[in-house]
Amino acid sequence: MIKDKIMKKNRKKRKISQSFQRWLLVLVVIAFLATTAFLWLLQTKLADNNAISLLRLNISDVREDITDASDENLLKLTHQVADDLNGADSISSELLSALAEKYDVTEINYIDPDGVIRASTYPDFLDYRMDSGKQSAEFLVLLSDKEEYVQSYRPVSYDNSISRKYGGVSLENGGFVQVGYGAERFQRDIDEFVVGVTRNRHVGEGGSIIIVDENWNIVSDRQGNEGKNLDVTGIWIDKESTPANERFICEVYGEASYCMYQTSEGYTIVAVMPQREAALSRNVAVGVTTAMQIVIFTALFILIFFLVNRLVVKNIYKINSSLSSITDGNLDTVVDVRSHAEFDDLSNDINSTVDTLKRYISDAAARIDAELAFAKAIQHSALPSVFPPYPNRHEFEINAVMHTAKEVGGDFYDFYFVDDDTLAFLVADVSGKGIPAAMFMMTSKTLLKSYAESGMSIEEIFTVANDKLCEGNDAGMFVTAWMGLLDLKTGKVTYANAGHNPPLVKHGDGSFSYLRSRPGFVLAGMEGIRYRKNELQLEKGDVIYLYTDGVTEATDLNNSLYGEERLLEVLNKNADADTSAVCEAVKSDVDAFVLGAPQFDDITMLCLRFNGKNNDREEVSE
Amino acid sequence: MNIEKITNETELTLRIEGRLDTTTAPQLEAELKRSIEGVEYLVFDFLNLEYLSSAGLRVILAAQKVMNKQGRMTVRNVNDTIMEIFEVTGFSDILTIE
Repeated sequence: MIKDKIMKKNRKKRKISQSFQRWLLVLVVIAFLATTAFLWLLQTKLADNNAISLLRLNISDVREDITDASDENLLKLTHQVADDLNGADSISSELLSALAEKYDVTEINYIDPDGVIRASTYPDFLDYRMDSGKQSAEFLVLLSDKEEYVQSYRPVSYDNSISRKYGGVSLENGGFVQVGYGAERFQRDIDEFVVGVTRNRHVGEGGSIIIVDENWNIVSDRQGNEGKNLDVTGIWIDKESTPANERFICEVYGEASYCMYQTSEGYTIVAVMPQREAALSRNVAVGVTTAMQIVIFTALFILIFFLVNRLVVKNIYKINSSLSSITDGNLDTVVDVRSHAEFDDLSNDINSTVDTLKRYISDAAARIDAELAFAKAIQHSALPSVFPPYPNRHEFEINAVMHTAKEVGGDFYDFYFVDDDTLAFLVADVSGKGIPAAMFMMTSKTLLKSYAESGMSIEEIFTVANDKLCEGNDAGMFVTAWMGLLDLKTGKVTYANAGHNPPLVKHGDGSFSYLRSRPGFVLAGMEGIRYRKNELQLEKGDVIYLYTDGVTEATDLNNSLYGEERLLEVLNKNADADTSAVCEAVKSDVDAFVLGAPQFDDITMLCLRFNGKNNDREEVSE
Repeated sequence: MNIEKITNETELTLRIEGRLDTTTAPQLEAELKRSIEGVEYLVFDFLNLEYLSSAGLRVILAAQKVMNKQGRMTVRNVNDTIMEIFEVTGFSDILTIE
């Protein structure tokens, strides 16, 4: 029942596998969320970077296109001017002015092989040394190895307030010619190229390039808004606060977009890419990896769960079943789970614990057995055991035996002279077994003997002994007893019965019969009980047989009792045998009946034969 | 042995089945220890009691002693075998047998 309760309790508790499953799930979910968040951030950053580099790439493409176009255009003009100059006799500022008008350029300079401006459409530039300014010095390559050189639109070295785009071509007679565009002329020159150059250009899928001139008028746009102000697109660029070549965010044609601008040759090139496009690539990447993660984590979860179940839970169950076998009392069970070092250790520990326990138990059992054997010996030695006990008394013959069951019990018999002619004899049975019963038996035996020897009558002996035994009988033990006082002169027996089995008596040559009298209550059961005296007259040859319920309640393997009938029968078969033979005959008949079935009660009996009154003995001896 | 317990306010009936001997007596003793408090009328029903040993008698005696102090006790449905035991041991003198 206790075990049932424990099992019920266990059933309510969570299994390891469930706990593990729960924690594993939490862990996996956390890991999943963490990696997904990390991926999200990483992919966002990556998408950002991708967008930036895409924007940059597209801008620089367009920029190069524009530069190439303007460079080509200017160099073509410069070559024409150079051809004209190569054909001229001398180069003068007037000639240059004429050529400037002819080719519609802003400025023409002639530089001699020493790098000094010798003729110019601008009188102020005359005698200017080209190597004195960074921008101008770049053209000196034309004096050494290069045939042509073109520069981007920028402020000139001589006067920073003026921006020009210069091209230079070396002349046949040494030196070179430099042709410059002013802003207006330059714009006019390349506008026709730039206009619409980005109409079919895509940045990513849905992005575009918008080109505006110095006045924020759109020059090229996918939406076809050329000529309008940049405002129509929604882009607002403040060159002070928004650095070139950096990403910024604007609503372009109503869509949040990443934008970037660069200025080139007086144009501002704005690359636009919708944010959702950048986000799309990130979302796709995160989505795909998330799906893969789900697969991987699910597989991991299942794998770990099954592995733990296999390696841990199953082995725990194995150990548990061995343990319950041990708990059920099978101490020879060996726990043998050797799959891993931990279980190996655990198995060894449990086995050695059980071994130690076994040793303790067997030690304790041996000690208890020894003590019980000792107690049994003491108990037996307290009973008269020498037969015949009174070799010089011939009025009676007495024999008694006590066969104790495995444990020490509470049966006893006793006989003694209370005076010269009165023999007291009794059989008693203390309720219960073991040391307490044996101790109670010793007390009872001593009390009865001392009261009997003080010369009390039989009913007084029981009444007084009962009250005495009731004192301090906390264990609630009691004794059944049948005691008789035989007057050897008369053969009269006065007896009392305290809840004991009725003895058997054989009169003369007849057969045994039960001596039934109204029994008193057991001794030590309740205070204040008054016992009755009964009388029995024995004649020569009469036999009285006392026994405890160990005889009548001896049980065979079918749980049937030996019973009073069988006892009567065996006694009658041995009616004429002497007392020791009677006891032996009953014992062997009981043994034959139980056929080896274990007996839990002591078997005690006493047989007394009255040989006649004192004078009879004298007659016999004479 | 089987103990059936019927409680009716301060009245406790214990129906004992089977053998009441050395091995089963402690079980009845434990049951009494648990339930006897506050009981004013204790009834032992021995209709299906097959065997009664001195260990069982000891428990019945202990119960009788307790009930002497806190109420009364009756033994009911005693069959011939058990009655004989009660008579032989003198228990019939101190028990109220119905």
